[in-house]
Amino acid sequence: MLGLAFAKGGGFVPPSTADFNLPPAIGNNPYTTKPIFLVVLSVVLISVFFIAASRKALVVPSKFQFAGESIYGFVRNSIGEEIIGHEFMRFVPFLFTLFTFILTNNVFGIIPLLQFPAMSHVSFPYVLAGFSFVIFHWVGIKKQGLGKYLKGIAFMPGVPKAVYILLTPIEVATFFLVRPLTLSLRLFANMFAGHLLLLVFIMGGDHLIRGVIGLKIIAPFAFTFGIGMTFFEFMVQCLQAYIFTLLTALFIAGALADEH
Amino acid sequence: MAGNEEGALWSIFGYLISGLIIWGGIGFGLDKWLHTHFFLLGGLVLGAGASLYLVWLRFGRE
Repeated sequence: MLGLAFAKGGGFVPPSTADFNLPPAIGNNPYTTKPIFLVVLSVVLISVFFIAASRKALVVPSKFQFAGESIYGFVRNSIGEEIIGHEFMRFVPFLFTLFTFILTNNVFGIIPLLQFPAMSHVSFPYVLAGFSFVIFHWVGIKKQGLGKYLKGIAFMPGVPKAVYILLTPIEVATFFLVRPLTLSLRLFANMFAGHLLLLVFIMGGDHLIRGVIGLKIIAPFAFTFGIGMTFFEFMVQCLQAYIFTLLTALFIAGALADEH
Repeated sequence: MAGNEEGALWSIFGYLISGLIIWGGIGFGLDKWLHTHFFLLGGLVLGAGASLYLVWLRFGRE
């Protein structure tokens, strides 16, 4: 409301959710918006990078090969092996895809000209969390059988029977509702808020430097802060890609374990 | 195992949230149904307590 009032007077229009609804590039086709293009671009970039990095694999790796291998090694060892344990190799392709896909799309948020994190549209994280959800439940059901798996979720061993009335709803809600929701919403909210934050500083600085309200002298501070925030965003973007992958690995590990 | 600690942190967070949602939600529904005002508060307290107990069962016993 406040923003609207300012806008009428020709003043500063604060960035809002409207800044996330980018118009379609081709006609009215809703499948031709910037986030879609960025997602496609990210898939192309990731594929080209890792195919090129692994094609001429040498014993003494080139810098390029080294970069590709260290990302892969990080996902395989620090996330896959350490969390899931001896069966981890089956899940490394999924975890690796998840990590590189989220990371690339997040980092697009601060790359000049691209500058939009696709994950700030909640449907992308929903789909990714949906994959994680289906996979970790499927793995658990396959490993333990449907009945035993559900029993392991719903009934904590070593608790008086009456307490189950209290605990079972919480356990079921955690596994089937809260886990996929927090997984996707955490990624979405971080990317959304981060993009909004950058918009505030950069657009605010732009507005100040035009001198409409006679505060030109403050504009450099706004831009400096914007640049600082960009580095901070880079950290958040990497961290969120890591956490999403880590939690997926943990859910899989939990489903594989005989007893939670 | 830094990763596992991070995971435990988020699992605990998840339990606390779902405890509040489930039992708070049941309390809210009872309030709507019976036109009372205390079930929501009771449900939230119950849910918070139950989820803390659950967290203790999962992570505190070892």
